[in-house]
Parts: sequence; structure tokens; C-alpha cells
Amino acid sequence: MKLKDTLKYLATIMLASVLFISCGDDNSNGAEQSEVPFVETPAQSNGTVDEPVEITFNITVSGGYASASVTAENGTATIISEPSVGATSGTVVVEFIPTAIGSGTVELEVTDSDGLTDDATAIVNISNTIVVTDNITSDTIWKDGKTYVLGGRITVEAGATLEIEPGVIIKGEAGTGSNASALLVARDATLLADGSPTQPIIFTSVADEITPEDVDAGNFGSPNLDANINGLWGGVIVLGNAPISASNEGTDISEIQIEGIPSSDTNGLYGGNDPTDSSGSLTYITIRHGGANIGEGNEINGLTLGGVGNGTVVENIEIVANQDDGVEFFGGTVNVTNVLVWNSGDDSIDSDQAWSGTLDNVVIVSPSGSAFELDGPEGSFTSTGHTIQNTTVYMEGNGSELMIDVDANTDVNMNNLFFFGLGVNEGSPAHVISDDYTDYASNTNGYSITNIEAVIPNGLTVADYFTGGLDAEVTAVNDVASATVGADASVFGFTWASVSGALNDIGL
Amino acid sequence: MKMIKKFLPILLLACSFSLNAFAQKGTLRGTIIDDETAEPIFGATIYIQSEGTGTTSDFDGKFELQLDSGEYTLRISYISYQTIEIEDVEIDEGEITNLGNIRLNPAITELEGVVVTSSRVTISEAAIMTAKMNSANVIDGISAEAFSKIGVSDAAEALKNVTGVSVEGGKYVYVRGLGDRYTQTMLNSVEIPSLDPDRNSLQIDIFPTNLINNMVITKTAVAEMPANFTGGIVDIETIDFPEEPIYDFSMSFDYNPDMHFNSDFLTYDGSNTDFLGFDSGARELPEGAGNSDIPSPISGNSSQEVYDFVNGFNPTLGPYTATNFANYSASFTLGNQYNVFDDKKLGYIMSLTYKSSSNHYSNYQLGEYQNQPDPTAYDLIYATRQNGTLSEQSVLLGGLTGIAFKTDNSKYKLTAMHLQNGESTAGNFFIDNSQDAPGQSGYTADSYNLEYGQRSITNLMLNGVNYFDNTNWEVNWRSAMTFSSMTDPDIRKTAYTLSLTGANPRFNAGAGGFPSRIWRYMDEVNYANRLDITREYDLLDMPAKLKFGGSYVYKERDFEILSFNMQFFGAQPTLEGNPSEILVDENIYGNGGTIYYQSGNPDPNPNAYNSNVNSYAAYVSNEFSLFEKLKIYVGLRAEQYTQRHTGRDALFAQGGTGNNLDNEKVLDGLDLFPSTNLSYELGEDQNLRLAYSRTIARPSFKELSFAQILDPVSDRIFNGGLFAIGEWDGNLRETYINNIDLRWEKYMGLNEMFSASLFYKSFQDPIELVRIQVQQTSSEFQPRNVGDGEVYGAEFEIRKSLGFISESIRHFGISTNVTLVRSVIDMTEQEFIARNNGEKEGQNVDDTRDMAGQAPYIINAGFTYDNAEAGLDAGFFYNVKGETLTAVGGGLFPDVYSQPFHSLNFSLNKRLGEEGKSSVSLNVTNILDDSRDEFYQGFNTADQIFSSYNEHRSISVGYKYSF
Repeated sequence: MKLKDTLKYLATIMLASVLFISCGDDNSNGAEQSEVPFVETPAQSNGTVDEPVEITFNITVSGGYASASVTAENGTATIISEPSVGATSGTVVVEFIPTAIGSGTVELEVTDSDGLTDDATAIVNISNTIVVTDNITSDTIWKDGKTYVLGGRITVEAGATLEIEPGVIIKGEAGTGSNASALLVARDATLLADGSPTQPIIFTSVADEITPEDVDAGNFGSPNLDANINGLWGGVIVLGNAPISASNEGTDISEIQIEGIPSSDTNGLYGGNDPTDSSGSLTYITIRHGGANIGEGNEINGLTLGGVGNGTVVENIEIVANQDDGVEFFGGTVNVTNVLVWNSGDDSIDSDQAWSGTLDNVVIVSPSGSAFELDGPEGSFTSTGHTIQNTTVYMEGNGSELMIDVDANTDVNMNNLFFFGLGVNEGSPAHVISDDYTDYASNTNGYSITNIEAVIPNGLTVADYFTGGLDAEVTAVNDVASATVGADASVFGFTWASVSGALNDIGL
Repeated sequence: MKMIKKFLPILLLACSFSLNAFAQKGTLRGTIIDDETAEPIFGATIYIQSEGTGTTSDFDGKFELQLDSGEYTLRISYISYQTIEIEDVEIDEGEITNLGNIRLNPAITELEGVVVTSSRVTISEAAIMTAKMNSANVIDGISAEAFSKIGVSDAAEALKNVTGVSVEGGKYVYVRGLGDRYTQTMLNSVEIPSLDPDRNSLQIDIFPTNLINNMVITKTAVAEMPANFTGGIVDIETIDFPEEPIYDFSMSFDYNPDMHFNSDFLTYDGSNTDFLGFDSGARELPEGAGNSDIPSPISGNSSQEVYDFVNGFNPTLGPYTATNFANYSASFTLGNQYNVFDDKKLGYIMSLTYKSSSNHYSNYQLGEYQNQPDPTAYDLIYATRQNGTLSEQSVLLGGLTGIAFKTDNSKYKLTAMHLQNGESTAGNFFIDNSQDAPGQSGYTADSYNLEYGQRSITNLMLNGVNYFDNTNWEVNWRSAMTFSSMTDPDIRKTAYTLSLTGANPRFNAGAGGFPSRIWRYMDEVNYANRLDITREYDLLDMPAKLKFGGSYVYKERDFEILSFNMQFFGAQPTLEGNPSEILVDENIYGNGGTIYYQSGNPDPNPNAYNSNVNSYAAYVSNEFSLFEKLKIYVGLRAEQYTQRHTGRDALFAQGGTGNNLDNEKVLDGLDLFPSTNLSYELGEDQNLRLAYSRTIARPSFKELSFAQILDPVSDRIFNGGLFAIGEWDGNLRETYINNIDLRWEKYMGLNEMFSASLFYKSFQDPIELVRIQVQQTSSEFQPRNVGDGEVYGAEFEIRKSLGFISESIRHFGISTNVTLVRSVIDMTEQEFIARNNGEKEGQNVDDTRDMAGQAPYIINAGFTYDNAEAGLDAGFFYNVKGETLTAVGGGLFPDVYSQPFHSLNFSLNKRLGEEGKSSVSLNVTNILDDSRDEFYQGFNTADQIFSSYNEHRSISVGYKYSF
């Protein structure tokens, strides 16, 4: 791009064209004089199992074209277009449907009117990996047994449905900034990503060597990446038309651009006035190693739910090693059940803009930021607030300091919370409640945090950890087994945290 | 610099030759000008009766005589001018006596000569004033002579005292308070690019005054000037033909008690050529880092390759403290002229300057504030506040060399100039992010910033003037090449997110961020060619001037940002908070650690573009009188302007269906720009002027693009104007401006004048950088045509010696100018809605507001003492610019206003010795110790800091010696 480079480039082109012309002279003799037909060998191409590939053979038939036949290995081949009989040159197009990964071959034999023949073999490299670089604008199915690579920020655009079958692996290309890959489900688009307890849908990085066969074998963890490696790609963003409370209020609705997506991509808008809006269904999904940075303080969460309505099903979700938050709610009404967040680079659960759904049954393991970072309305619209209940939080491991971070205007009710793995830092508690808890506690909307149990390290008291008066709601228990509140960890068998033994290690 | 080396031997040869040539005789020189128009008189007779010898003036009005030592009387005459006799002209052996400008009065009746003595001092400031008085259009200016009087060392400082001029941040010159978009900078009458990718105007503080002959500000358009200005054109003219031999050396020291010899000064180890204003490689982009795939644990490279790659980056991420030195500068100028090939003249000039300055701000504050959603909550709440220490070490190296050749009817000038500036910045800030602000999570961080900015301009110009038909035809042509370059190599930011409970600090991507580093490059070439033909003739028996010509300008800019983020492949190392602990061997991936760098640069890069402009212009103008007292100027200019852009957006860069421009036309327009100026002589030395012109402001290179540029310094994202976002249709257009000026001016004694002006400008589709409201978590901006705007203004200027009060205080004088402006712009619907949504109880949001960047008033005042006989000048100078809207808010974001900076300075300049060969100067700046502030302003609540720092007082002493 430098001017100097342009000059160099021009010089190179001149030199190259001189060479090209002289080379061209050398080669132009052979083919034209041949009497027998000539089939040119096409360049190698790439294909994916079950996905048709078109292969074009250029042919020269001095004696006049009569017929062609095709044979294939590792797939099936059919001629879908050929020159008219008697033509002296043209193209034969073959459709090849690969059936197995490896090297596929397509051999074409052409016969002329004199019965003379020639043949050529095209080679197709077959994998089960598909690189996606374009937005999804029509209904699309991502099939089991395959790996889909997100070449960048791929958007399911309004009106389109992306269905992801159980067991599918999606891998994001590497990169930060505008380079970050992500799956974005725009407003009025639908994502049907329903995995199963034995066939979860896994979102990870291209660096992850996990294969559909690993998943089939029950190996849900990465064979090569540790569970604390983050920031390798973006994340999953689902946007909807449910109400949000943000500063950009138009005449009837409030809509803004989601964090991490530049405004020039209008697919990043969310918010509306349809509380029952559906963005589809997300169940048995595990999202790993994401959270790439888009700009300062502007990372992508593992799962971002912006203005998502309660017509959407979100259940059984695992987020592992995301550089930003695990799950972040920006307004909306969606209810979410069974969430596990492990090694989040920032907060594990984050809420903003007057989200009014319920989050039920949550396990948080070793956050780096706050376990819960909960905010309220940012515009004049207020909702009935959100509820977070039945949670188990293991605080140690990545330096997290705040168990619950609330503001004066946070609109949350929390209950049945269990905290353990509380640390000691030179005789002081390593984990606390945010200073603003007292402001929150004095709210006039009736929001409250109640019914907490915690394992308190020796020498310290409940009040040391649960600061600002929250200690009144806390009962100290001896260990995990004696807790009577918290999450039901048994539902997380589909997670990496479970199969790796990480949950077992902390007694869950 | 190469040019200088090449020319040096020739120049040195030239000086030795000229020194010896006329050793036995003395040389007398002077310039004959018309007292009314300040134009040179060609062919005037200079006669020395006692010797029976004489000469005539050339087309520049210049003459030269070789005379023996002694005292002479000169008689200067020219047809239809009053003859003048100059007595007591002293000639010394081997010396040059320069009489400077000698004014001849057009004789109306007849023809009695006047007699003056040669002790009369010529001040070129007065010549500028005469030029100003007689110019067809409204101009203001300042000449080299005035620089030493007001004690300034760079062009920006010098312009501070010119009517209607304000200088932003000591760098950017704005005329009549209009923003950056509406001021144009020229060097020797050809356009010169800015060295800031975000600005239209050049940082003119990089021009040392010893390279400048004068600076002229054109405020009303004339056809020969480019049409793309509205406030004014600043034309910097470099020195050319020296009248007398110059061998000047000067130096100065500038001491700021709050900044200098300060043991808290932050610095870091740069390269060993930093003192020359450029980096020799210490901040170079590591090999291979420019590729889209850089070695990382997941790139498929071996761990050794990753380790080697990370090691390619400079491991310094933080500053250390070291005592700094005061500012100092030195400059050297030499020049001479001599006769060659009979009467032809060859002149040369050469100048070198070096300046080192050091700034230390111990309490530098930055803030991001927001409105609260609740309409009854008035206070602005902060999202992020930063305060800390910022230290800058800057070097400026400049050189200019020129040769000029003059024959009987032509003059040729070749100049080469290079300016090199390097500024190293180190900062340490405490960052406080509040979770109470919408979209913020709340954290504290300790941030270390290292930056280096390297800028240079190289300019080559060839200029010729040819006269025909007894100077009635003048053909002036110039061709200039300017290469400018701006590099910010390795901007490093490392922010430790601090613990709440006293544990070790960490890097948190969602809080203080991960360490990052950025390289930013901009290169621009500019080829400008200009031809101006002037024909002087008589119309209705009065002198008239027909001018026509054209120009061709080609500009091309390359811009690129490369960014890298530190990442950890697994756990972070245990950190203590000192940046030198980070990039140590054992922390790096491939050597047992986890650190690697991730690229933020796709291929092709959306943070890069290339743009070019082809601009052709032709004009014709006529200056004539309908009757004696009325001078009329009419002109018409046509400009064909074609801008092309190569660049793409992020969606295209990732391989998807985004926007990509491949040298595509983004602007293509042929426009006509009429201009007219009427000047009516109300009485002696009194003019009334009326001017109308149409001008244009075009979108810049990056504005007409799909670029998405994350600015590493402000952390703001710039979106090209071609994106359709929300209600903006992506059709970014030029702004057309109609300008009307009315001015009354009265010229009194030497250097005395009074003037009053009114001006009005209407803006059709002005462009402003608009904050995108739908984006709340980051700051995104886009240039858009907003609603139409209007500017009304008044300007007053007085320069007067106090001699009229009492003769005893005749050396005291005042020079003051005041500009008052009211600007109104119609808000776009989006902005009005956003502001309405943020409306507080008791507030009434209007649908108009001030134009961004437009100052409501500018005051430049001086109280001077000027005693030429004693060789003493002194003065107090005061400059202030009114509160100016600098960032347009709306909704969540309050408006930002820059606050008046009350700059009061004192300067004193005294020539020493009988010959006045040396002089000393003393300057005190920022006597009021005012700080530079920009504030957020809300409704019914206290202002909050957007940025604030204090330069404090400084005292400088200078010494100049002429050999």
C-alpha cells in the first residue's frame, strides 16, 4: 500500500509480463495440431462430504465431439452439461458429490466422431469442514458430522433461519478487532440450535482440534486447548425485538447497536416492543475460547442476548474461557435455564438495560471479573426487573474479587444462592460484595437478594465477605454437601466442565 | 537534508566569491515602491549628482550601485511620480548599505521634490499594511520583522496576534474562529497537506520563523486562490533573495519552573537518533508483523517461531523517571547575492534550525462523562476518569536552501526545504471507571502509555517570473512537490486492572484491557503546478489589471494502522504492576510462558486506505476602476475536482459481502466560483470594501470512504461517510458557502490603522463529525452533512501609537483586534430527537445550536513599546478565544466545550552595540498561569472535565548575532 511499494509492484508486473510473453511463445505449439481429442486436467479443488462440487473440463475435439463418460472415487459423479455433438471445442461440467473424506477423483473420458478418446482426472480434496464467509440470507441447515468455520462475523439476516443439528462443531477464525469472527443472529432472524445431552453443539476456535467423532465418543473437551485459553475468536450474539431500556429512544421504541459490532453493520441493532418475540431455540450448546477484543472495553461475550424475547428457548448452555463476560443480557424478556460458566475472563453473568426474564439454575466456576455484574435501566423505560435463582458459585481460581456487583438502580431479585471457594488474601477476604450494595438495598421497588449460604474460611466471618449488610441474608455452611440452596449440578453432563472432572474436583 | 549537502559546496564557494569581489568599494541597494500600492516601480532613475553616475530600478523595483566610501545624495525620479532626494547616504568600503523600501508618491499636481535623510527606518510591517490597504481582497498578515518584536520562534506563535486568528493547541491556525475544516494552509502559494490524518490544516508550529519571510491570511476569496476555504487561507512565504549579506546565528533557552529540571519527568529508551527527530529502528514494526497471519500458538508456527516473533517487539512497555532539561533552540541563517554575467544577479539563502523542547504535565486529566437517564437527575456522571502525568520530549530540525537568479526581465527561484519533527511521549494515568454510568462495569486501572510521533515535510519548488512589454505582462509559474509523512511507530498502552482487595494487579480485557500496541502510517505526495498571467493596462484612463491562469494539483495519500493485542495462552504471569516485568523471557510463549501477540489486521486491512485527487482549475479576473475612488475586482474560477478512493470495510475484509472501493471515483465535480470585491476610497487612507464570494469545503480523503478506523489515541471509531447508517443515506456531499464581507478601514501614521468589518457566511450542507447514537458502549463517529448553517461576525482592529496623547509616550502603542461571531446550525432530526430524549425537567431543547468548532469571540491584544533609535522593542500580548463547542453530544452524551485560555505573554528585544549586530530577547509566556481546559456541559449542573492540563509559566532568553 505504500507508494514505494506501488512502484516496486509496477516494476514487478513489467518484469513478469516480459517473462510471461516469452514463456507463452514457447508453449503455444503442441495442442492445436493434435488429431486426437484433448481433455485438459482441471486444477485441484476442495469439497465437503455430501456437498455437490461442480468440476469443469475444457476439451478440444478436432474430429468433432461425440460423447463423454465419467467415473469417480470417494463420491458419485454425473455429467450435467456437455458440448453439442460435432463441436470441436467446449466444456464438460461434472457434478461430484463426495461421500467420504480424503482424496476424491473424477475421471472424464471424451470420444470424438472417429472413436478416438482422451481422458483427464480431476482431484477433489474432501473434508468435512466448510468455511462460511457470507452472511446467511436464506434458510440453511448445518449438518451433523461436519465442522463449520466462521470466516468472520457471520450474520443470520432478518427473515432467514439457521438450523444447526446436534453434534455440529462451529469454529471461529482467529483475530481481534474488526477481524474477530462471530455468529450474529439479527432481529427477525431465527437460530434453531438444539443439541442434545450426548450431542451438544460446540462453538470453539479453529485452533481447537476437536472433531465430530470426538463428540460422538463423548469427548466434549478440547484435545489440545486448556480450559483457560480465551480470546481466540468472538462469540455468539442473538438479538431480538423485545423491549430494552437504553438512551436512544425513538418515538415508540428504543433500539441500539450491540456491544462489539460497529454501527456500520445495521444487523447489530436490537430492541423493540415485542416482549414475546422469538429468536428461535438454543439448547445444549457449549461456547469456548472466545471473547475477542473489538476495541477498548468492547469485547464479545460468550453468549450475548440483546433484546431477546421470551418466545425464545435458551436452556443448557455452557460458556468456557471467554475473554469477556460469560452470558450478558441487554434488556429483553428471555428466560434462561441451566447455565454453566467456567473461567470467564471478565464477569460470568452480566445484565443491563432492564432485562425482565428469569435465570434459573446456574453454576459459576472460577470467574475473573465478578460472578454477577448486574445493572438496571439506562433509559426512561423500566421493567419489572429480572430474577436470578438457584445458583452455585465457586470463586477461586482466576482472581475474581466481587461475588455480586450491583448498582443503585439494579433491578434484580436474587435468591437461593450458594458461594464457596472463598479466598483469603493476607488475612483479609479475597472476595466481597460491591460497595453499591447499600444503595441497591435501599431501592423502593422491592428488589432484594435473599437466602444465601456460603462456606466461610477459618478466621473470617460472614460479614467480612458479605459486606454492606448482606451478611444478614447469609448462613454459613461447612461444605458443599451441607448446602441446602444452590444449583442442581447434575443437569450439566453435556459440559466440558463435567466430563473433564472440573466439577467433580470442586465437589459438584 | 540531502539537498543541503549537495548545495553546500556551491553555496560556500558563492559566499567567498561575493565577499571578496567588491572589497575596495561599498555597495548601495534599495527598492523603489509606489507609496499607494506598495508595488515595485520598474525603471525609476537613481542618480548621484556628485559622481555623475546612476542606475535604474529593475522589475522588482530594486537597484544596486558600487560606490567609494563617503557620503552621497541620491535623487530618485520616475515619470508622474514625485521626485525624492535622499541625503546623507553613507557608504563604507566593503559594506552594503541597504536603504530598504523607498516610497515614491504619485504626483497629482506637480512636481516639487521631497528630501529625506537615509536614517529613516524602513519596516516591512508597514509594507504589509500598505499591501493590505491596496489589496483587492481582505488580507491580514505578519512579516519576519515582527517576529523578533513579539519574540516568537515558530509560525503558530507568530500568527497568534493577527486579526481574527486563533491558534489551537499551539499548532493549528483557525481564521475567524471557524473550525479546522474551513482553513487552508499554503506554502509559497501552493497547497500543502496536513500532517495529521484527522485534520485539514497543517500544524504550522513546525515552521521556525527564521525560514519565513511573511505570512499572509486571505479572508475573502479571489479567483487566483483555490476555492476550498471559508475562514481564510494562510500562505507562508519562505525567505528568498537577501538584500544584504546575512550571517545570523541565534540561540535561546526557555525555562519553565514547573516542567524543567524535573525529576518526575517520564521517559523511555527510544532510538539513538531521537535527538534528530526520527526513529532509527527501535520502534520498527517487527519483521513479519505486517502479514495477516502472524506466528501465534494457534497459527501453526512452531513455538520457537512464536517466541522469536514476540521477541521482535520492543520489550519496553513502561516509562522511567529521569530529570529533564529546559527547552533550547539554535538557528543559523546565511545568504547573499552577487552579480554574474554582467548585470544578472544570483542569490542564495540557507537556513538551519534546531529546537528541543520538553513538556511535563504533572496533573493531566481526561474524562468521559454521561447524562443520567432520569430527567430530574441533572448531574453528569462519569464513565471513565483518567488523571496522571504526561511528559513529552520534542525535537524539530529544519533546513531550507534556495537559489534565485534574476535577469533583466525574469527571475527564477529554486527552493528546497525539509522539516523533521519527532515527539516522544510517556504517560502514567490512574483510570477510574464507574459502574454507575450506563454500559460501564466499574474498575480502576493503572495505565502506562508510550508514544512516538514522527512527522516530516520535504518541499521542492521551482518558481519563475517573466516580464514582457515593460512589465505590463507578467507570467508567474511555479511547480512544487511536497512529500509529507507521519508515522506513529509503536504506540504502547499497558493498563493494569487493580485489585479491590489488595491482591496483585492483573490484565482484564473487560476492564483496563490487555496491553496493546499500534503502528500508524500516513504518507502523502502533493504535486502542484500553477500559472498566473497578469496584464496591466489602462481602462477608462485608469490602471487596470487582468489576471488569468490555471493550476493542476495531484495529491495522493496512503494511510494504514496496524494493531496488536497481547494475549495469554493460558494463565497470566503473576504481576506486580511494573511494566518492565511483562515481556521478560520466562513469560513468553515458547519459553515456558503464555504471552503472545494477536493481530488485529485482516488482509486487506479496513484500517487502511489510499486516496488521490486530480484537481484542475482555471480562472480569470479583472481589477479596474469605474471612477477614481472605486476599485472593482471581479473574478471567476472553475475547478474540476476528482477524488478516488481505495479501501474497504470490515465485512469485506473478512471475505464476506461488504463494501470495497478500488480506485473508484467518490467525488467528481466541476464548479464555478465567482468572487467580487469593491473598494471605495472614502477619504485619504480610508477604504470601504464590500466583497462576495462562493467557496467550497470538500470532504477529506478518509471521509469519502468505507474506512472503519479505530483511533489508538482517542479510542474512538471513525466510520467513513459512505456508510448508510440509520437515517444517514451515505451520500456525503461537498459544502457550498456564500461569503459576504463589509469592511471599513482607516490607515493613519506609519503602522497605524483602524478597521471594522462585518461578515456573513451561509453554509449549505455543512459536514460535522456526528456521534452515532445507537452505539453506546464505544465512541463511534461519522462525518455527515448536517442541517444548513449560518455565521455572522464582526471584526475590529486598531493599531495606534500613543504619541497622539503626549509626545513623551510616542513609543508606546496598542494593537488590538476583536472578532465576534454568532453561528447557528439546524440540527438533524436524529440529533434533535436524541437531545429531546435527554431533555431535563425545566430544559427546553431547541432545534438549532452553535456550529461545531466555531468560536464566539477571539481577542488578540498587544501593548507595545517600540523605540527604534534605542533598538528596544517590548510588549505585553494577550490572546483568548471564547468557549467553543468541540464535540457535539446528544442523548447520553453531553456537549464538550473548550474553555477560554487566557494567554498573556511578555516579550522584550534589545539590539546591542553601536552596529546593532547582536540582540538579546526575553520572553515570559502564560503569565496568568492559565490551564487548557475542555469541559462537558450539562443542563443546570456543574461542568466536568473532558481534558485539562496546565503548561504553566515559562521564561526564555535568546541571543542573536549577525556577523
